[in-house]
Amino acid sequence: MGIGSALSRYIDRGLAYRFVWIELLLGVIGGFSSALLFLAFAYTQGFQLLMYALVIVIGTLVGLEIPLLMRIVRDRYQFRDVVAHVLTFDYLGALGASLLFPILLVPYLGLVRSAMLFGIVNVLVALWSTFLFAKQLASVRALRIICVVMLCGLGIGLAQAKRITIAAEDNIYADEIIFARDTRYQHIVLTRFKDDIRLFLSSHLQFSSRDEYRYHEALIHPGLSAVPAPRRVLVLGGGDGLAVREILKYPQIESIRLVDLDPEMTRLFSTHPMLTALNQKSFLSPKVHVTNADAFPWVDSNTESFDFIVIDFPDPTNYSLGKLYTTAFYRAAARHLSAQGLMVVQSTSPMFARDSFWCIAETLKQAGLKTFPYHVYVPSFGEWGFVIASFREYQLPTSLPQGLRFVSVNGLPALFQFPPDMSPLPMPPNRLNDQVLVRAYDQDWKDISH
Amino acid sequence: MGLSIKRNRPIAGTFVNDSFQMGHQLRDGAGFSPPRQIAKHTVVIVGGGIAGLSSAWRLHKKGFTDFVLLEMNDQPGGNSRWGENEITAYPWAAHYVPVPGPKAVYVRELFEDLGVLKDGQWEERYLCFTPQERLFLYGRWQEGIEPAIGLTPADRDQFRRLEDRIHEFRATGKFTVPMEVGLSDTTVDLDRLSFADWLRAQRMDSRVVNWYTNYCCRDDYGATASNTSAWAGIQYFAAREPEEKGPLTWPEGNGWIVRRLLERVGRFVNSNRMVHKISHRGKGLSVLAGDTEYQAEFVIFAAPTFLAPYLVEGMAPLHDFEYSPWLTANLTLDRLPNSYGTDPSWDSVVMESPTLGYVDATHQTLRSHVDRTVWTFYWALADGLPSENRQLLLNKDWNYWKEAILHDLERVHPDIRKCVSRIDIMRIGHAMARPKVGAIFSVERRNLAKAQGRILFANSDLSGFSIFEEAQYRGVCAADRVLSRVAGVGTGHTKRRP
Repeated sequence: MGIGSALSRYIDRGLAYRFVWIELLLGVIGGFSSALLFLAFAYTQGFQLLMYALVIVIGTLVGLEIPLLMRIVRDRYQFRDVVAHVLTFDYLGALGASLLFPILLVPYLGLVRSAMLFGIVNVLVALWSTFLFAKQLASVRALRIICVVMLCGLGIGLAQAKRITIAAEDNIYADEIIFARDTRYQHIVLTRFKDDIRLFLSSHLQFSSRDEYRYHEALIHPGLSAVPAPRRVLVLGGGDGLAVREILKYPQIESIRLVDLDPEMTRLFSTHPMLTALNQKSFLSPKVHVTNADAFPWVDSNTESFDFIVIDFPDPTNYSLGKLYTTAFYRAAARHLSAQGLMVVQSTSPMFARDSFWCIAETLKQAGLKTFPYHVYVPSFGEWGFVIASFREYQLPTSLPQGLRFVSVNGLPALFQFPPDMSPLPMPPNRLNDQVLVRAYDQDWKDISH
Repeated sequence: MGLSIKRNRPIAGTFVNDSFQMGHQLRDGAGFSPPRQIAKHTVVIVGGGIAGLSSAWRLHKKGFTDFVLLEMNDQPGGNSRWGENEITAYPWAAHYVPVPGPKAVYVRELFEDLGVLKDGQWEERYLCFTPQERLFLYGRWQEGIEPAIGLTPADRDQFRRLEDRIHEFRATGKFTVPMEVGLSDTTVDLDRLSFADWLRAQRMDSRVVNWYTNYCCRDDYGATASNTSAWAGIQYFAAREPEEKGPLTWPEGNGWIVRRLLERVGRFVNSNRMVHKISHRGKGLSVLAGDTEYQAEFVIFAAPTFLAPYLVEGMAPLHDFEYSPWLTANLTLDRLPNSYGTDPSWDSVVMESPTLGYVDATHQTLRSHVDRTVWTFYWALADGLPSENRQLLLNKDWNYWKEAILHDLERVHPDIRKCVSRIDIMRIGHAMARPKVGAIFSVERRNLAKAQGRILFANSDLSGFSIFEEAQYRGVCAADRVLSRVAGVGTGHTKRRP
């Protein structure tokens, strides 16, 4: 605003004409500013640049308003009245706007429509000025036509604001959103682009239908194929039924117990046609028993024994989820392992979150288990890691179920080799009273994002 | 949208566990009917808080069963009583035990018995979960209670010097838990001035350091630093050397320990038995409680020691025992307030608040998803005279305290009134022994602690301050002293006469 006021001295002629144009520009630029910013955030890297540019342009224009206005009306009134009138309405207007904006406009109209509304007010001021200063203006008609055109433009913007925000949000998720629901526990979003379906839980990608088979085959088969005569399997997390789909490839398995917190999640993956096609209706198998419960108390209070335990939780992004990656949790889970049983744990990326991956492995060790870490490449995730844990030695399986697309007997040994950039790091274990994992995970991802 | 008439949701609640009526009845010594039956036990334990229950635990563990424990209240546990609703169990007062060091032998023994300490390892689920503590200052939360943001170089220097001094005191081995183990006459000078004066003399009294040291005194002693002996202030910092990140805590606080103790010795506990007279009868003692006369060889007096002169026939009044009044409240939250980017912690403290903040009872849950909880709110009425604050506790109604608590919480949780459905408030007139100047080396206190008669004193106030480890230590010691004198006496016998 200071820049605008300073620049006002260089405007000598055509004050009224220029004032009308300043109002018009403010109306259009200000009106579309927040829509532009939303779209810029979703589609470009230039959000901050645009934001500062808009602030400077709008500020300059606003700074020009008052000096010009005072000069326009100085011949009509005494100087003291000019100052009194202009500043009175300036301050009152500022008060009104600063109250209206947070209390009424943003909560009820949203940022995009509020900006449009203010733009309309500016254009109306311009239109009004063409009547007030008609004598000082040369091309009144042309100005009025421009005003009306701009009013229409802003009016359309106001009406279409919802579509602008949706367009922006759609692009944040990249693909078309086909399902979105807030459950008691999380925000579930499904997106689709051509034949690729993606699941996001509270904004974190869980799978892409194009390459999830790599993740789920790698999660299940290296472990389960190494268990002699498995009959009972426990899945903790995995409410999408994709791990269960892989487990059902072993006909000798008699029962699969799946414990997932969110009933909406398991219901969605039991009923939505697109999703049941993906998990091959795994939840409808009579062998599968779904329990909707918090995993730690469930593991703590149950006594059933299992030959294979799959631990597939969301990444440890907060201390609540971090409890499911502690020595206390793994001890409680391991009590359910049969003598020959194996456990496999989703362990984040050994590439992007190397500290976290080796922290999880160390935690399993400190819980009294032998650990056998491995990793796979899942294009939509990048390098991803798992840890097989057990009371006994683990030996690579010599046969696998038919029809796998990724895991093969010949390819298995390579999964257990870690190149130097993912090799073990010394990490303390994650414990309930000292959740180092959540801090490490936070730091790992901070280090690779900006 | 704020244009409707302002109306907050109704909040239910009441005062709970009031016991001052009974206290006043004792003080006035009126209205007790004569006994109608006689029960004989070798030992009668008076008071069912941690001290009394620890005596019982010790006697029972040593195979001695001819005793009874008399508790005035409906519920045993004293300051470690707990409550429970449909959401969670929650503490009424004492809610944690710092991870005991090697000198707290009896506490370690207890925790081994309770499965808290196994093969030298502390059970992970009983250690306070991450994140443990947070402090609200300058409009935001920080992790930990010692102020760490916005410090001036002077503050940093003072904190560092305080730490250095504490380190020196710790190295002397004269500040220990339990305090009796290390107590040395060479530290008597520190009991002759207040902690505030000592800090001032050391030039460790910047605004921030002053807040922090006062907070610590209010938290452990219910008193300001100027009403705390420097010895006790130093004890707070120097006596503990945790070998593990703690403290130990449970949803119901130390009520968890009481529950485990009651599983072991509950059958010896008689609740709603207010002892109103203890007198010497020949070689033994007569203890009157309710309609029964208990005839005993020994009494372990584990109730607050200030009550003893009102109960024990012929006992001289006491002068050196002062107690801090407290108020605690349990708030039921059927939704959680906005937490503005921080993870909710176990203990939340607000700088510049006269209260001690609140503890979240569901923090120790194993669940990953919590949408309702109970907060235990702590308020030591540290400013002013204890007697006046006790009067204030009695005179103001529930609504007054409810509003005071909500006002305090609104500083950091503007939406708190929309979250709370119930506030129950407990008023404790004599909540904690206050280690005022001279209390630690008080001759009166030390004489009672080693009393050789048939009445043995066991309350934590014999250490000069009320913490779990001191109560447990005094309780166990009293039991051991009784056992050494009744050696050979075996299992119990009770005779009843109409």
